[in-house]
Amino acid sequence: MNKFAQLAADIAKLWAKYGAAYLSGIENTLILALVGTVIGCVIGFVCGVLNTIPYSKSDHPLKRFFLGLIRVVIRIYVEVFRGTPMVLQAVFLYYGLPYFTNNSMKFTSVWAAAIVVVSINTGAYMAESVRGGIISVDPGQTEGAKAIGMTHVQTMTSVILPQALRNIMPQIGNNFIINVKDTSVMFIIGFPDFFAAHRAAVGASYLYFPSATVEMAGYLTMTLLASFLLRWLEKKMDGSSSYELVQVDQLTMTAGTYSFPDRSSPFDERNPEAVKSMQREALRRQVEREVAEREGQRLNEQRRESHSVQKGGER
Amino acid sequence: MSESILQINHLSKTFGTNQVLRDIDFTVEAGDVISIIGASGSGKSTLLRCINLLETPTSGEILYHGRNILTRGTNAPAYRAHVGMVFQSFNLFNNMTVLENCVVGQVRVLRRNREEARTHAMEYLERVGMAPYINARPRQISGGQKQRVAIARAMAMDPEVLLFDEPTSALDPEMVGEVLSVMKALAESGMTMLVVTHEMAFARDVSNRVVYMNGGVICEQGSPEQLFTNPQRPETVDFLMRFRKN
Repeated sequence: MNKFAQLAADIAKLWAKYGAAYLSGIENTLILALVGTVIGCVIGFVCGVLNTIPYSKSDHPLKRFFLGLIRVVIRIYVEVFRGTPMVLQAVFLYYGLPYFTNNSMKFTSVWAAAIVVVSINTGAYMAESVRGGIISVDPGQTEGAKAIGMTHVQTMTSVILPQALRNIMPQIGNNFIINVKDTSVMFIIGFPDFFAAHRAAVGASYLYFPSATVEMAGYLTMTLLASFLLRWLEKKMDGSSSYELVQVDQLTMTAGTYSFPDRSSPFDERNPEAVKSMQREALRRQVEREVAEREGQRLNEQRRESHSVQKGGER
Repeated sequence: MSESILQINHLSKTFGTNQVLRDIDFTVEAGDVISIIGASGSGKSTLLRCINLLETPTSGEILYHGRNILTRGTNAPAYRAHVGMVFQSFNLFNNMTVLENCVVGQVRVLRRNREEARTHAMEYLERVGMAPYINARPRQISGGQKQRVAIARAMAMDPEVLLFDEPTSALDPEMVGEVLSVMKALAESGMTMLVVTHEMAFARDVSNRVVYMNGGVICEQGSPEQLFTNPQRPETVDFLMRFRKN
């Protein structure tokens, strides 16, 4: 039991000395994860939309070539950044840029470098998620939009992407949570995130386990909070399940249907026009029946007459 | 022939090795209400989808006011804005309310301002009896109601021709009537309509021309009286007989 007491004491000691560093680390981690995820989503959406532009054999060859080229470039981007570790991407970009441009171009701040790396990494994952999200929307939605004359861009922005966004919300949440944790590798380029605060603290105090406990609790709190907020956001996007009927404007009720049997409408069987036409129909049938009956009687009489004439002939 | 809205010449469509449409010829004049009947798989829906360029025909031409729309430079979205379509599966936009469904096309495609588009949409929503439901989402209303909204959405674009692809086939029997009566009112208002349907009573009573398709060709066409009371081709007789029995 006294081990726990010791742990608590150590944590208190750490917090007293490095509390501010931990907190600013948390702040930096959250900002980096959030900005990276948002920019990554934008990249993902752009890639997803470019990837799903339809083309047919009847299109201009140049258009087909460019669309094909775009798909190839996106494919390479996705495979490269999804297939290499983010920690290496960070080193590669942060040190590679000055290396290739003889120091004329380099990241002026570690923030810029970190945001770029996290964004393009997230973008590579999101490109595939968005593509999946777009495919998951019923093709009928696209046809409906096309049928009222929308172009591909209009169809995407008005109809498909809002639905795709809702469908991939869980995936975006996943990416955000992964980013909260995985930005810890940014210490490699000296980014002052939450994990960097741990490294600084243990470098001076050698309290590895207590500091790790603080880190564990801190990351778990961030991710739990994030998933809670995401759930709430999803619910909000779905909107309320009830809707209001507009009933103040009586004019709107002029064209009711069978759903409002107690009100008159042009399409209703209670409509005077409809009633009249039904009455007319009934009358017509009655007349027809009478005519048919009379015809029948006449035929019967004729037959009887001819019968009697025949009999008379025999006689 | 300059007054006909649509003229279709030698239209063919092949899916792989399967020839769905063969050498279709027919014209649509302003004010026509044409019913296209025929067994499943006879190419009725494909014909309609070709007319709206949702499918690209393999050969032949479709003249819209005398201009062939199957040439490479055609602006398909601009053409589709003039030719409305109502689908079997409604295809309302699930992320919008009933009213937004009818407004979005006018605002984005026809560049009307939002207020004007709203008024215009309300006019048609009233005509189809869906005005009280403008705040509802598609998932909250019944199939018949969805189809009536879909008709209002198509009409709000002020199309020249309205294509109906089996508009009542996905509906429960008790909802068929409300959609058909809306379509009937539309036909009586002078709208040019092309209706693929299995509702023989509608074809007989509302349309001025009935086209019977069989095996990807137009087998017989004529006025409803002619086709229903005095069909000339044995296939037509066969088809109508089967329908009477059901």
